[in-house]
Amino acid sequence: MPIDALAALLMGLAGSGHCLMMCGGLAGALGQQASVTRLLIYNLGRISSYTIAGALIGAAAASISQVTPDGFVYLRLLAALLLFCLGLYFGGWWLGLQRIERLGRPLWRAIQPLAVKFRATRSLPATAVAGMLWGWLPCGLVYSALSWAAVSGSAGNGALYMALFGLGTLPAMFAFGWFSRALQSFLQSQGFRQLMGCVLIIYAIWVAIIALRQLPLFS
Amino acid sequence: MAIKLPEVPAGTCFHCLQALPADGGYSARLANQDVAVCCYGCQAVAQTINEQKLLHFYVYRDTTNPLQIPLLPEELQQLQAYDDERLQAQFTRTTDQGRQRELTLSVEGMTCSACAWLIEHHVQWLAGVGSVKVNATTERVYISWYADQIKLSQILQAIAGLGYRALPFESATQEQDFKRRRRYYVRRLGLAGLATMQVMMIAVGLYFGVVSDLDDSLRQFMWWISLVVATPVLLYSAQPFYISAMRSIQAQRPNMDVPVSIALLGAYGASAYATFIGHGEVYFESVSMFTFLLLIGRYLELLARQKAISAATNLIKLVPALAQRETAGGDIETVPVSDLSPGQIIRVAPGATLPADGILLDQPATLNEAVLTGESRPVQKPAGTTVLAGSINQQQPLRIEVTAAQQETVLASIVALKDLALSRKPRLAQAAEKLASTFVIRLLIVAAITFLVWSFIDPQQAFWVTLAVLVATCPCALALAAPTAVTGAIHNLNTRGVVLRNADVLNTIQDIKTVFVDKTGTLTTGEFSLQHEHIISGRYKQDAIRALVQALEHHSEHPLAQPLRQLTATPASVSAVVNHPGQGLSGIWSHSDESLHVRVGSLSFIRQWHPEFTPAVAASQIFVATEQEPLAEYHVGDQIRIDAKASIEQLQQAGIEVIMLTGDRAELAQPVAEQLGITKVYADSLPDTKLSVVSAAQQQHPVMMIGDGINDGPVLAQADISVTFGHAADLARVTADVMLMRNNFGAVLEFRQVALRSRGILRQNIIWALVYNIGILPIAMAGFVTPYIAAIGMSLSSLIVLANSLRLYR
Repeated sequence: MPIDALAALLMGLAGSGHCLMMCGGLAGALGQQASVTRLLIYNLGRISSYTIAGALIGAAAASISQVTPDGFVYLRLLAALLLFCLGLYFGGWWLGLQRIERLGRPLWRAIQPLAVKFRATRSLPATAVAGMLWGWLPCGLVYSALSWAAVSGSAGNGALYMALFGLGTLPAMFAFGWFSRALQSFLQSQGFRQLMGCVLIIYAIWVAIIALRQLPLFS
Repeated sequence: MAIKLPEVPAGTCFHCLQALPADGGYSARLANQDVAVCCYGCQAVAQTINEQKLLHFYVYRDTTNPLQIPLLPEELQQLQAYDDERLQAQFTRTTDQGRQRELTLSVEGMTCSACAWLIEHHVQWLAGVGSVKVNATTERVYISWYADQIKLSQILQAIAGLGYRALPFESATQEQDFKRRRRYYVRRLGLAGLATMQVMMIAVGLYFGVVSDLDDSLRQFMWWISLVVATPVLLYSAQPFYISAMRSIQAQRPNMDVPVSIALLGAYGASAYATFIGHGEVYFESVSMFTFLLLIGRYLELLARQKAISAATNLIKLVPALAQRETAGGDIETVPVSDLSPGQIIRVAPGATLPADGILLDQPATLNEAVLTGESRPVQKPAGTTVLAGSINQQQPLRIEVTAAQQETVLASIVALKDLALSRKPRLAQAAEKLASTFVIRLLIVAAITFLVWSFIDPQQAFWVTLAVLVATCPCALALAAPTAVTGAIHNLNTRGVVLRNADVLNTIQDIKTVFVDKTGTLTTGEFSLQHEHIISGRYKQDAIRALVQALEHHSEHPLAQPLRQLTATPASVSAVVNHPGQGLSGIWSHSDESLHVRVGSLSFIRQWHPEFTPAVAASQIFVATEQEPLAEYHVGDQIRIDAKASIEQLQQAGIEVIMLTGDRAELAQPVAEQLGITKVYADSLPDTKLSVVSAAQQQHPVMMIGDGINDGPVLAQADISVTFGHAADLARVTADVMLMRNNFGAVLEFRQVALRSRGILRQNIIWALVYNIGILPIAMAGFVTPYIAAIGMSLSSLIVLANSLRLYR
């Protein structure tokens, strides 16, 4: 289903403003001298972490969905729900998604000391690893995207979706300063976040409708 | 760690500077201080930064304005150049005892009213900025600021941070800017036009089965060609819509370009997808055509706008850039106008345009003030009067003492006023704009519902039906309805010498049932002249008496004395002249070989000597007498405007009650009123009586007041529409809504007609737009409108509105 892949890319793009606020300046601060190569390597590291997570979740979900016949549909509905919450979160209307962010905290606590260690060395591989570690930062955006990987049906698709999601976030993170000023101020504006929130909500409802039609109850 | 954490604005996350959630969010411990953060993500990042000893990141970032994107150093330097005082003097005006400055900026990249809103709200919050008025129509921003609190470069920087380029407006570059802007559209329009023709040809072929019996691969090939041709249209021609949509979303007031952009990108995306996978529906021709038609509308609107603007600013261009200045030694040097300062003396050759305002020295002049008043006949100016930049010297060389140059001239303030009128939207236009904006939001919601409902009914069709809804109901016509009509009205009025300060009058004009008129200076010309002379004495000749009156009145400042100062060529000799305020003048007249005590002045002043004296003519106000006998009486009055009678008649025929409201005595007001057919007269009215009369009349319905802009200030402010005859020189002090620069009373009628017509057109526009938009909605939602038809319908509806408004330009 390539349309889902597009959705993953869109989610990344939609989150651009969020990423820019959260980590935009930081990417420079953490990457020492923010040379283009270093920044790229760092972000590719981050995206590869997403990809790995996507593969893991995709595989796990694929095996679960074989337990019940409609399991896949229910997973889709769950993904739609998460997407809906993400829409509310973007628009600033309901921040419940933060509870999910909390789930990632223990993981990050475990990883954080490593991140400190890798920052000390400045070689390119070390930068890549630092970026990979950064990818495990608790982030509601990432978790919603992961729910998408869950319904992808296989480890491969899960990895693909997450990679696309990562690519979507790349322009904002990477091209801080490359973008025209007009575009930057647009991406960071509340209006853009709300629009994206609306788009995600409508998309979530649509996904839910399509999923429900597949249930024996409605077809 | 001895790092001092910076303060962040209250209620925002310490890390990402976005608003904290309602419950206050979470806290993070950094450098032994607790800070509030908005989410676990920020908490984790902040703590990581702390542990990695990177807290300097927080110290060096700019927390005052999280949305402010830093400028590159060289850009900043360019802007800072504008802080130079000498440079600023060329384009700023100073008010409020020099503390406040104002200027007009021209802004590049402004596309819509959302842009105006963004800039206005962003700049308004800067400390030290007095007021900001953004005019999306003229792409100009009018700003006043206190130079001691904020620098001009800081304001420019704030606007640049939003992604606009703002520079002080220079009329010299305007023509270039206009051309550039037109070329911007023409290029995109041309491309869209060519591409539309190509894609349409293919589409028609495919629709009508020319290739229906051909195999799929050929059809696929046609699709690919369409894709290739339509792509530049989408990426290049449609750019203005995306930019405008982005801006409006940023301002959180989505405009019509949002549905337009969604529809364009959606239709193109889905068609491209169908082309790639080889089956489905393809609407490249709709994408191209929609872009093309929309661009035509925008281009026409742009042309109309530019016409309105250049009509105002072309005036400024008429003022020469160089002036002939007299040096201390009496020589002439050629200097730039920017070097002129008050008190210097300039010379103006016959046929040349005055480069600055000033006082006419030495001799009278004949000037053409058409630029200022719209009146093409030359006017006589006696020596010692004020002459204005932009007037054309018709006869002999002139010497002028400069009083104001450049931005301080009356002409500059007329242009500024026209700009102001263009930037202030009348309430009806505001309402229409707001309606269009809420309409867009509703439309988006309706489109979403349509999509979801159709997903249930028939998922295959859902997308295209939604697209048709977005396109067909896009309120472009509604959004164009008001601004185009108002711009047209202002332009139309300006060409007739009517300057609007407040376009709201276009709205109120039709409710006006009562017009109050002041007498002096309004119904009359305001220029006093000798109306009647009656010689009483038999002993002295008329010439001798006139010479005496002239000599005495020469010492008077009273306005009525003015025409009596030019009675003869040689005044009599008088001595020991004493001014008795409120009564007149006395002196000693040396006539032939006698010396006589004489008086000139009011009736009561003369009656102190001759208690039983009664004037021969009731209207006489000025009397002259010796101690022995009264000599003569004079009636000084002002002339009734030639066309006042006919104009008032026409107003009355239109069902409007005309009432005279004057401070003059009844015996002076009544004859004038009778002559003009005015039946209701309030004479002897003090300013506060005038005020209560007008506000009493306002209880019934809105009223218009035509009066002297300077003396009638309060009562003009009270009236719903205030009109004044702009003696150009007083323009800056005048506070009326409407200024009639052409000095005849008929301009009132002309103003009324144009205003009524504009309002009519405005209403037609809005009604038509509403009928179309509401009517097409259910049809589109039901799925009866193809994207193709939708594009044509929507574009036609806006072109109709546009064409209707363009009537005002004729």
